[in-house]
Amino acid sequence: MSAFLDRLLRGPCLLLDGGLGSELIARGLPPGAPPDLWTLERPDELAAVHRAYVTAGSEAIHANTFGANGARLTRYGLEGRVADLNRTAVALARDSGARFVIADVGPTGEYLPPVGKGDPARWREHFTQQAALLAETGVDALHIETMTDVREALLALESLRAAAPALPVLVSLTFERKRRGFFSIMGDPVVSSLMRLAAAGAVAVGANCSLVSPDMRDLAREVLAGADGRDGAGAPGSAAASDAAVAYGAQGAASLRLVLQPNAGRPQATADGVHYAQTPQEFAEDLASLFPDPRIAALGGCCGTDPRFIVALRARMTERALARPAGAP
Amino acid sequence: MPLPDRAALAQAVIAGDSGEARRLACEWAESGGDPLLAIEEGFAQGIRRVGELWEEGEYFLPELIQGAEAMKAALQTLEPRLGAARAAQQSRGTVVIGTVQGDLHDIGKSLVGTMLAAHGFEVHDLGSDVPVAAFVAEARRTRASIVAASALLTTTMVAQRDLVEALAAAGLERTPRVMVGGAPTTPAWAAEIGAHFAENAMRAVAVAKGLIA
Repeated sequence: MSAFLDRLLRGPCLLLDGGLGSELIARGLPPGAPPDLWTLERPDELAAVHRAYVTAGSEAIHANTFGANGARLTRYGLEGRVADLNRTAVALARDSGARFVIADVGPTGEYLPPVGKGDPARWREHFTQQAALLAETGVDALHIETMTDVREALLALESLRAAAPALPVLVSLTFERKRRGFFSIMGDPVVSSLMRLAAAGAVAVGANCSLVSPDMRDLAREVLAGADGRDGAGAPGSAAASDAAVAYGAQGAASLRLVLQPNAGRPQATADGVHYAQTPQEFAEDLASLFPDPRIAALGGCCGTDPRFIVALRARMTERALARPAGAP
Repeated sequence: MPLPDRAALAQAVIAGDSGEARRLACEWAESGGDPLLAIEEGFAQGIRRVGELWEEGEYFLPELIQGAEAMKAALQTLEPRLGAARAAQQSRGTVVIGTVQGDLHDIGKSLVGTMLAAHGFEVHDLGSDVPVAAFVAEARRTRASIVAASALLTTTMVAQRDLVEALAAAGLERTPRVMVGGAPTTPAWAAEIGAHFAENAMRAVAVAKGLIA
């Protein structure tokens, strides 16, 4: 078992990095331009962001490969550079000195009918191609992120596991908070979606982007309660939640591993650009309140977070770890 | 032949059933019904309800799209018959709509276009990833009263400000009003850039009517 997988399964909680895209934009990446551009044109800026997160305390960082799949790159005329982009991005992440490097795998940006005209067969080709490339780069893990359709996430997971069988795969979906609970924009409910992904072989499941830390905390509580077959209030769970728990397996409740990466407050557009209004301390408090549940396997940040958020999170995690009674998992 | 029940028209849209929507639109027209009435009190009621269900968190993207497709099917069927009815009722106004450059999100924008068209506006939809210059050129060509720009990324919404400025500087006969929408946009943002905010497709119709009045 790899050191990364061992750490994810046995703890303690792994500290990831914060937002990469928003940091590049803050350093001048033009709005609407693909972050992959800077892997080629401004590798020094990219490397600086990685190093800043490592200095802040990130143990595992994400390589700038989120958009490096054939579907997305074709839109920018970069499909010919897919191998280069994946390999160079990982190498840059490695140079930061991070303990672990995770390759980011983002969605195709297409939707299945009736919403769009996405072709699952083509998607499979794209994910397989990216996974095969990443498998040779020496990354510690793959992280499927920002998925808004559980079907695409499952398809990606299957492709990655087939093309890179030696690599652990984490999967994060993006959810919105609706009156009835947390759903993806395609209507995927949080508990059953994450359970399906865990049952399909994801070593950790969770959520990134869109949600702010207090909502992400509530999402985590709902998933943990769902894994136990209970709803958030502790009453006997709905049929859907217990079906999912059964599908996940008898060990479901205990072996679930969650990864969470909220945004830093809501983005607000002002005269001098976009600002995210939340303090690192508030962010860290919300996430640290989930401890000491050993099923919280990895924490980090998404859009709008920066090294300060990782510093704050690390401090809170350390406090909580030290406060644990002796012999606790 | 008696007219189909208006509630059935709405229900076809709510159920996202394009086939049924088309069939009912046909039946309505064949029965000599007023096509505008079929839209206003039938199909458009359906798409309004779809919007409510979306806001309530009951309907998600697939249901939204299916509803919009059913609406479109009904409109396509009734469109040829609208000509005659429309002659008696002038177009409410001309709108150029699109999603800003660098942004591929277009579902909300297309819904706004559909709703505006359903309410009698002449809509020119430029699609997504539309440069400011293209908005301006189309506004000039169509002598639009309103330009509506959607942005769903915080990184692309700044183009809405550029659009307002470009339209003012374009030397058009009459500078069109600008409507903005999309998840990161707010009333404050719209006010700051000199545009008008529309929270969703339903509100967009009300705002557009107000801008023309």
